[in-house]
Amino acid sequence: MNALPRPSTIFLAVITTLVAVLLYSPLFVPIVSSFFTISHGDVDWSSPTLSTYRALAENHDILAALRTTLIVGLCTVVLSVVSGTLLALYYHGRRSGRSILQFIIFLPFLMPPIISGLALLIFFREIGLERSLLTVVIGHTVFVLAIVYRTVLMRLQSMSRTLVEASYDLGATGWQTFWRIILPNLSSAMVGGAILAFALSFDETMITILVTGTQSTLPVRLWAMMRLGFSPDINALVALILMFTVLLCVLAARFLIPRQMATERS
Amino acid sequence: MSQNTDLLTLRSVSKSYGTVPVLHDIDLSVRDGEFLTVLGPSGSGKTTVLRLIGGLEPLTAGEIRLDGQDISRMPINKRPFNTVFQDYALFPHMTVSGNVGYGLSVRHVQRKEIARRVAEALELVQLGRFADRFPAQLSGGQRQRVALARALICQPRLILLDEPLAALDLELRRQMQEFLKSIQREIKTTFLFVTHDQEEAIGMADRICVMQAGHIRQLGTPHELYYKPNCEFVARFFGENNLVAGKLGPVQGEQRPIETALGRLICSISGQPHLKAAPDGASAFAAFRPEALHLADSTDGDNRFSGTIADLAFAGSSTVATITAGADTAAQRLRLRTPSRIDGSALRSGETVSLSFAPHEGHLVLA
Ligand SMILES: Nc1ncnc2c1ncn2[C@@H]1O[C@H](COP(=O)(O)OP(=O)(O)OP(=O)(O)O)[C@@H](O)[C@H]1O
Ligand SMILES: [Mg+2]
Repeated sequence: MNALPRPSTIFLAVITTLVAVLLYSPLFVPIVSSFFTISHGDVDWSSPTLSTYRALAENHDILAALRTTLIVGLCTVVLSVVSGTLLALYYHGRRSGRSILQFIIFLPFLMPPIISGLALLIFFREIGLERSLLTVVIGHTVFVLAIVYRTVLMRLQSMSRTLVEASYDLGATGWQTFWRIILPNLSSAMVGGAILAFALSFDETMITILVTGTQSTLPVRLWAMMRLGFSPDINALVALILMFTVLLCVLAARFLIPRQMATERS
Repeated sequence: MSQNTDLLTLRSVSKSYGTVPVLHDIDLSVRDGEFLTVLGPSGSGKTTVLRLIGGLEPLTAGEIRLDGQDISRMPINKRPFNTVFQDYALFPHMTVSGNVGYGLSVRHVQRKEIARRVAEALELVQLGRFADRFPAQLSGGQRQRVALARALICQPRLILLDEPLAALDLELRRQMQEFLKSIQREIKTTFLFVTHDQEEAIGMADRICVMQAGHIRQLGTPHELYYKPNCEFVARFFGENNLVAGKLGPVQGEQRPIETALGRLICSISGQPHLKAAPDGASAFAAFRPEALHLADSTDGDNRFSGTIADLAFAGSSTVATITAGADTAAQRLRLRTPSRIDGSALRSGETVSLSFAPHEGHLVLA
């Protein structure tokens, strides 16, 4: 790469740093301030404490919301990974109908969540399905399906066609080829897709608010807490959610970024 | 297992992809136990022939017979053939022994038996020490040998190899050529080997099948292809050659003259009835190899002509002269190859010389 003249590199460095600080510093404020007491609506920087976390742990509403979130997340992951993988397998190498299918799968992901949520809400009412955790799981699955489908499809497309041919050539049946060649080569993409799906489901708020029954998930709970005013455990909660989501994304990246399977095992 | 019984026959096999014809009416017999090479330029349909035999693609027309039985519609995983793919197609998530044993384990062979045969196959390809490695931890040549071991462990009737050495560098390629040949002799299995490298073909094959544009142009031993090419394409494609166009004269026993810009050239037609049968005056080429052309003391008589040395190229053991021969209006570019000498060649660039070749070293191909 050709080096830029020195003044312009410095200029670029300053701009990038500034943008990064402006964009990302708000994320760190709640994390940092969650470790301090809050009095009269202001952070008291002189007294580091874990009391906000203690308050959070004693808040039964929040713990219940956390449990709901985990249940919804796990169900969503199972549903979306199974159906996303099946769809990817079915449409891989098939031309007809694929672009329409992809459009439909991607629509809920790209549309404003409030539209997706309202559409689902109307749909559930039309078919007479009570709002409950089931409707939340369905809503989340529809929302995250695109990610899983795309992840698995991309892995399928990067897999050499001759692997499957070689398997048949060596006498394997279609089933054997699927279980012993295709699935093992897809597994890390499926795990990566699952983690992304979980992270998305974990954070999803808008659709959830619209289609949930009486139980609320963690982000919805947070939303409700905010309306009552700014309380110190919100900082702690936001900090926890943030760290958890980042952790999930790092994990997902580990599974999705291609690497030499063998060298890492040795 | 005699080499003269046919193992596999293709009868009027055609193949089209969509509406694009790729193979036209191919007839081919593979003899039991032979090393048959399919040779042809890129796009001539070599891979397609292999994929049809392996069952990876359906035929458009014709039939494939194994031991006389039609197997055209037999599914790929039932055919007693195994393929060595050009990109090896090793399963990245399995160890070397997992890869090699795959063909046995999908047939539910007992574990102990698999372990024994895998060890045996790895021994054969000299990879015993690498059994627990993954494909990504092997060199190109080693992967190649794993692919070979994986293909031969099921004891197929026929091993199909699609340019298996194309990705290797020259030195390794030479070694693998010898290695493949020696393995083929050891296990006495029929090999069908695709390549576009004619040196590779000459060095390894019992017989060579030359393909061009979806047709088989000639099938024969390397010697036959070299000395008795049956068409202009093979004469030009297979080894260096001098071709001079002309009109056939009357047959003279086992020889036939051809009138060319270089005068009357007499060539051998022994063992080639179609050349005997061609009418007088038919268009043809006189073909003679660069090593058959040599200096003469005069230009009087048949098969003699003069030429000017345009260029001399030292090529190690031999020296190649590029010669312009014949009248200016019909000048021919010829090549002459002589053994190199330490004290320099007798030839001088720019010199005009008399040239000739012996009638039995010249042959004819119809235009
Ligand atoms: N799946 C396909 N669909 C359409 N055309 C194809 C397909 N596969 C091959 N062809 C065409 O068939 C012809 C023969 O291809 P083939 O792969 O058999 O050639 P080849 O002799 O193996 O060439 P190479 O030496 O480059 O491997 C080519 O013109 C190619 O474009
Ligand atoms: Mg090919």
